[in-house]
Amino acid sequence: MPNPLALIAEITHRCPLHCVYCSNPLELTSRNEELATADWLRIFAEAAALGVLHLHLTGGEPLARPDLAEMIEGARQSRLYTNLITSGVGLSRERLAQFVEAGLDHIQLSFQDSSGGPANWIAGARAHAHKLELAAWIREHQIREQQTGERRIAFTVNLVVHRQNIDHLEEMIAALEALHPDRMEIAHAQYYGWALQNRSALLPTRAQLDRAVAVVAAAEERLRGKVRIDMVVPDYHARFPKACMGGWGRQLLLIDPAGRALPCHAAGVIPGMFFDNVRDHPLAWIWQNSAAFQKFRGEAWMPEPCRSCERRQEDFGGCRCQAFLLTGDASATDPVCELAPLHHLIEDAVREHATAGPVPAAREASFHALQENTAGFWSYRTDPK
Amino acid sequence: MADLTDASIPKFAAGCRWGGTTEAPVVLFPEGAIRVEGTGRIILELCDGHFSLAEIVQKLEAQFMLAPKGKIRADVETFLQQLHAKRIVDY
Repeated sequence: MPNPLALIAEITHRCPLHCVYCSNPLELTSRNEELATADWLRIFAEAAALGVLHLHLTGGEPLARPDLAEMIEGARQSRLYTNLITSGVGLSRERLAQFVEAGLDHIQLSFQDSSGGPANWIAGARAHAHKLELAAWIREHQIREQQTGERRIAFTVNLVVHRQNIDHLEEMIAALEALHPDRMEIAHAQYYGWALQNRSALLPTRAQLDRAVAVVAAAEERLRGKVRIDMVVPDYHARFPKACMGGWGRQLLLIDPAGRALPCHAAGVIPGMFFDNVRDHPLAWIWQNSAAFQKFRGEAWMPEPCRSCERRQEDFGGCRCQAFLLTGDASATDPVCELAPLHHLIEDAVREHATAGPVPAAREASFHALQENTAGFWSYRTDPK
Repeated sequence: MADLTDASIPKFAAGCRWGGTTEAPVVLFPEGAIRVEGTGRIILELCDGHFSLAEIVQKLEAQFMLAPKGKIRADVETFLQQLHAKRIVDY
């Protein structure tokens, strides 16, 4: 059995933002169920011993945990490559300096759009201006480290793309480029959790997607050697499914705020699954023996056409959660696949939802005006109790 | 892409560093890792900010004396340019 390469640590589900495409589950974990600092430090050590190289600290908003600097330090002591995935809200200049000092390798800052009005409208919170301020502080660290020849922290800007912002992708890339990132992640929304609820407002049309792909290709060419661009494609418009998580229980594991170990972000939606908890078992035991991790590992679970498909070792039959969410059967071929018996579900969704208009986001409108004009347009992610 | 010249000093880009074990070292970078062995490992170990491209090539030529003239330089350049495009090495 291969060992996991990355650990996704959802250290809290609390978040000051309410992004309409949030990948968190609809049922969020509350604060009083959250693991303690010592639990996380033990998990990091166990993960490193199991062969994990990368740790992704995420949430919710990981900054909501006051012990985050301690966690970063503990992760680095366990020799993990430590990445902080954040909205930036809750990060002061002093706290950033603490994280850099603690050994943070990489900070990934999310953006919702290129200007405050629409960005805050998508996030459901006034966050954009602070993100710009934070980007400037990160830049200061990078310049200082460059001058002193010290190890430098990597800076990624992350942009989730969907129908409400896809038409000005070029403008967004230019705005983010001005922040001097090392890397840009342009991720099309994936339809789970909150994004699935809001799919009819988020799904782009094929023509919009084609233009966006051309824009990204041009930016890649122009920025080669300067900014690395990674794009996450929207699978609804693909011919074949994504190799979700690099295959179930093959490369990644996720620990939720309460300590449950999941093979992916959305696995909790699949009925009848039991997720073992790191409070009860060592991580190695969970990886090897937990029923949840074994459920779709390998190929024995596969139906036709996956079972005899040449691509089964490339995409592993696609995403189990998406299969369940759209077909009601977690063992079905991911309906994104053009060979799937239920592929028409995707075609229907695209036909029904991916319509060009009406886009209420006037670019120059304020957050307040946009919210007033679009009441009921989509549902914002709520905060856990 | 930046030009790679004799005077260029290649080094790990921001957020890139060694990881893994001494027996099986890997280069860690945002969202990924690569296993480097053999000559690749020797080159990257020289990318510590102390040596120029000319010096790195010189060291390798001294170590691999039988390699055809010019081949080492061409190989080192290609290797570093590929890693530069991935933002793993800067120069």
